[in-house]
Amino acid sequence: MSAPRPVTLLISALGGEGGGVLTSWIVAAAEGLGLPVQSTSIPGVAQRTGSTTYYIEIMPVTAAELGGRRPVLALTPGVGDIDLFAASELLEAGRGIAGGFVTRDRTFVVASTSRFYAMTEKTAMGDGRTDSTRLVRAIEAHAQGRLLFDMEEAARASGAMINAVMLGAIAGSGRLPIPTAVFEQAIRAEGKAAEANLAGFRAGLDAARREIAPPAQRDGKRRHGPMPQLAGLEAEAARTLPAAAHEIAVEGLRRLAAYQDTRYARLYLDRLAPIREADAQAGAAGKLVAETARHLAVRMSFEDVIRVAQEKIDPARIARIRADNKLGPDDPIRIVEFLKPGIEEICSVLPPRLARAIIGYSARKGWLGRVYFGMEIDTLSVTGWLRFRALAALRRVRPKSHRYAEEQAQIETWLAAIRDAAKLSRELAREIAECARLIKGYGDTHARGWGNYAIIEQRLIRPALAGTLPAAAAVDAIASARTAALLDPEGEALANCLAEIARATPLAMAAE
Amino acid sequence: MERSFRKEVQSLKLGAGETFRGEGILAVTKALLQSGVSYVGGYQGAPISHLLDVMVEAEDLLAELGVHVETCTNEASAAAMLGASINYPLRGAVTWKSIVGTNVAADALSNLASPGVIGGAMIIIGEDYGEGASVIQERSIAYALKSSMWLLDPRPDLPTIVRLVEQGFALSEASHAPVMLELRIRACHVTGEFAAKDNVSPAFSGNNRLPGPPRFDYARLAHPPVTFIQERRKVEERLPAAQAFVAREKLNEVFGGDLADVGIVTLGGLYNSTLRALERLGLADVFGKARVPVYCLNVAYPLVPDEVKRFCLGKRAVLVVEEGYPDYVEQMINVELRRADIQTRVLGKGMLPSAGEYSSEALIDGLAAFLAETRPAGLDVAALAARARALLAHKPAAAEAVGPLPPRPPTFCTGCPERPVFSALKLAQRELGPTHISADIGCHAFATFAPFSMGNSILGYGMSLASAAAVGPNLDRRPIAVMGDGGFWHNGVITGVASNLFNKGDGILIVMQNGYTSATGLQYMPSSAASRQGAAPGMDIERTLAALGVKWLRKVRTYGVATMVATLKEAMRSAERGLKVIIADGECQLARQRRVRAEDAGRLARGERVVRTRYGVDDAICTGDHSCIRLSGCPSLSVKPSPDPLRSDPVATVIETCVGCGLCGEVAHAAVLCPSFYRAEVIRNPSRFDRFAHRLRRRVIGLLGGREAAA
Repeated sequence: MSAPRPVTLLISALGGEGGGVLTSWIVAAAEGLGLPVQSTSIPGVAQRTGSTTYYIEIMPVTAAELGGRRPVLALTPGVGDIDLFAASELLEAGRGIAGGFVTRDRTFVVASTSRFYAMTEKTAMGDGRTDSTRLVRAIEAHAQGRLLFDMEEAARASGAMINAVMLGAIAGSGRLPIPTAVFEQAIRAEGKAAEANLAGFRAGLDAARREIAPPAQRDGKRRHGPMPQLAGLEAEAARTLPAAAHEIAVEGLRRLAAYQDTRYARLYLDRLAPIREADAQAGAAGKLVAETARHLAVRMSFEDVIRVAQEKIDPARIARIRADNKLGPDDPIRIVEFLKPGIEEICSVLPPRLARAIIGYSARKGWLGRVYFGMEIDTLSVTGWLRFRALAALRRVRPKSHRYAEEQAQIETWLAAIRDAAKLSRELAREIAECARLIKGYGDTHARGWGNYAIIEQRLIRPALAGTLPAAAAVDAIASARTAALLDPEGEALANCLAEIARATPLAMAAE
Repeated sequence: MERSFRKEVQSLKLGAGETFRGEGILAVTKALLQSGVSYVGGYQGAPISHLLDVMVEAEDLLAELGVHVETCTNEASAAAMLGASINYPLRGAVTWKSIVGTNVAADALSNLASPGVIGGAMIIIGEDYGEGASVIQERSIAYALKSSMWLLDPRPDLPTIVRLVEQGFALSEASHAPVMLELRIRACHVTGEFAAKDNVSPAFSGNNRLPGPPRFDYARLAHPPVTFIQERRKVEERLPAAQAFVAREKLNEVFGGDLADVGIVTLGGLYNSTLRALERLGLADVFGKARVPVYCLNVAYPLVPDEVKRFCLGKRAVLVVEEGYPDYVEQMINVELRRADIQTRVLGKGMLPSAGEYSSEALIDGLAAFLAETRPAGLDVAALAARARALLAHKPAAAEAVGPLPPRPPTFCTGCPERPVFSALKLAQRELGPTHISADIGCHAFATFAPFSMGNSILGYGMSLASAAAVGPNLDRRPIAVMGDGGFWHNGVITGVASNLFNKGDGILIVMQNGYTSATGLQYMPSSAASRQGAAPGMDIERTLAALGVKWLRKVRTYGVATMVATLKEAMRSAERGLKVIIADGECQLARQRRVRAEDAGRLARGERVVRTRYGVDDAICTGDHSCIRLSGCPSLSVKPSPDPLRSDPVATVIETCVGCGLCGEVAHAAVLCPSFYRAEVIRNPSRFDRFAHRLRRRVIGLLGGREAAA
């Protein structure tokens, strides 16, 4: 039957983004032209940043042209029955595709490349983010045509809400039987914040009309600038280390010089020398050095109160906060820090013997993990600044501190394991190097990460080095255990994973 | 309220010759006024909240017409309002979210349906079923069947909905039975238009009061012995009267088609979806012309046996399109056909899913299966099956290409005062061990999602404390019940608190006092700080609890995480037996932001000093463990790539939507997380003193060697 069909538009958005208003603009525009139109939505409680959809059907011919005939419009979007699919966020665009609402024969996709991370992407202990590239590829593969750009950025730049930008992009797609001017009229008729919304609308329209180059991939990394005193060490690194490790080693040297001093940077390079040999012997093509160099620099610049104090009064940091808040250099601002060191943190900067005595005493008294010194410090006040400055000044005595001694010992053990492992298998050595990733953070987080590392070391790394666990099995086991350790803070996944490995390799675990 | 309905109120004033444009649920609202109702009541809840919200805002119009509006404290009190139509020729309507609201109202409904009514009584129910639903999935039709109330299920088309509302009152009066009108979620929010009529001033109302009560009439009571007579009347008088009315007024519709040896019987609410599925299979156009005959039941109960027989006679098979379970209508049709000894096959469940919403996919599959099974003359069934497959074939590959996607359920708003309570609960549990948590209905039920994942049971609105009554005595530690202030007044104060005290129970109750029923759209309730009349209603939870006899009672500002943790531990560990109530006090942030933003904008415009607080995370100090996110779950606390060239895990970040509630700082402090969090206080329109102090500090710090620090 060749009677006219409605043009169908499915909008995916998050609660609170103004999808309802966007829908009402489109409905008003269609009504203005006398086109039969119907919209539905399922707001419910999805308004609170949950994913939600709006569905609109518009007849491409006016009610007058249809005579007395009234179309029966659908309330639910049909799988494979969508002409235009618009999404305010990339993951939601992916959800629309997974739902079957985007088809090669007819669906044009208008979607923002911006991400608003879902809870489980954010709560992961490592990196839980969904791969955006995969989502973009899925859009490219399944849509008839597409318009992808960062609508969030366009909204910010134009001072509008994202819904206005979406409307512009929808109008610009040319898939609806509604001219641009009619949409603008609908925005004006709505009245509220019309000027801002029109600016957003035009931004969306512009994006649709010109071929947008994909945004330059800024990686957002802040690298240290050159330091004259490191020229010699950097040249040595370039000469002695494989090419794959150069960039990382240079960054590591600068990081550690800023963290401590040139001597400490020297120690870093010295520690990499045996790894370089191990790498060459194992035929790891420089990858083992590169990965170890990366983790070693991070481990050597461990997070103690001295480093935190350094960061807090770093002029670059104050400048960043000013920029984030769109402040000029003369605008007053207060920056209040939340610090709550415990006994162990405070002891970390004391000499080892004294620190051990205090920690031992506190442990007997049951103070560890219970006694903290909470403080809120106004960094830009004179007293606040002086406190951080005094802490930062402890940098000079850091090499004599308890924490320093502990960290260096652990680092040496880890490096030795990498070296020994390289003799068995280059993959095993790389897996052990990668386990350093588990050790990060402060307080409980640090203790948990260290504890997980220690369990993996005891149950898998040592048996592998002792030859009781075959290297090939150990490579897989360590990789799985590391992934499991980052799954839940309670350590359930890691415990299950280790139990599973023990079942699979009874001999090795029997040796334990 | 969450949004203003000023524009919608204007459309309620439209008269004959004008066109109403708007949402389905507002069309119902307008239809009530066109039907001459004397009173309207209800309890808010998606998807019918707008009906009441608009009525509340349309105060002037309603006063002019003499319509009395009541925002009831629960559905039982709303249903009981209909009692006015038992004795008086008053038309009235009440509304709520179903199935849950109908459950709460059931007692009053039974006692209303038994004596019956003389004024038209209508219950507008938002059938919260399928995609977007927030309640258990059951069918409201069961109540219509058991209480002999009639159930209208109009096809989602504004003129039809409006006609059914108007005819529904006449049906109620013609048969002396209450009438339920059911709208599904999308039908409540569907937009469209209809030709308006003038509003009708009721014959009797606040503007023209009835002259006293009627003479005593025992037959108007739902009380034996007349209940036995009423039971018979339902079957012998009211049912036939209703069937006659439905047939005479042609409330159901038949659409003819050339494939006459089969047919489709669809409930009105599913008509549009059914027609679209037929159209996509090439068996209809979008104007309602279908090749398969369709019998559209705008009245789901009672069926009109003659109509059913006439439609089915001469057909080999019919398909019943009826969402949800049990398949009441399918059963009723089977019974009618058996009684008449008509051999038409009745197919329904089996072709179509027994449970779940009838999406476009389900209907395309079901219709194709039905036609393949029945092979109507003149239809190429093989081609049709191929077409159905082609329509849906792409979906598995598309899902595969995208890969697994994280869910995105609704969550607490940025700055929500309820979230900190769950952060505190999570922290307290680290020391106390896991506790049984009775959850409840309301925004706080979002704590059942990540990152809190808390709650062992949800037994209904205001039921959390009651549902822990038998848990406490059988568990080695006190259970914790969480209840909102909305749930407290809805029934929690009696069902939960009074019952616990009466039984000398133990346990902990957390009452979230945010000042509104927020999840349903920020309506006022008895302990709100304001009301639709302006002044506060004056009911206070703390005083109420004290008056009931709660001895252990603490009120804690919700954002004080450390205090809340300490209070929870005290409540858990206290040797004192008896109910322990913690009032978690903090105004709904949606309401607060609306007010504060307007105030701040005004002050900024006047050039007055405004301090704006925002939180931040030092990306150079954060190591990307995300403990803070697991403890806070704030939408404004997100992640971004680490700026550290040597680290790969993303770091935490506070995005622009932060309202400065302070929870992240509190949590970082209470949980001893890390020193990354900071609070930035930006002073707009700074005073001369602010500027002076700023310059002075910078000078002093500069002299001490930190010139750049303040730059």
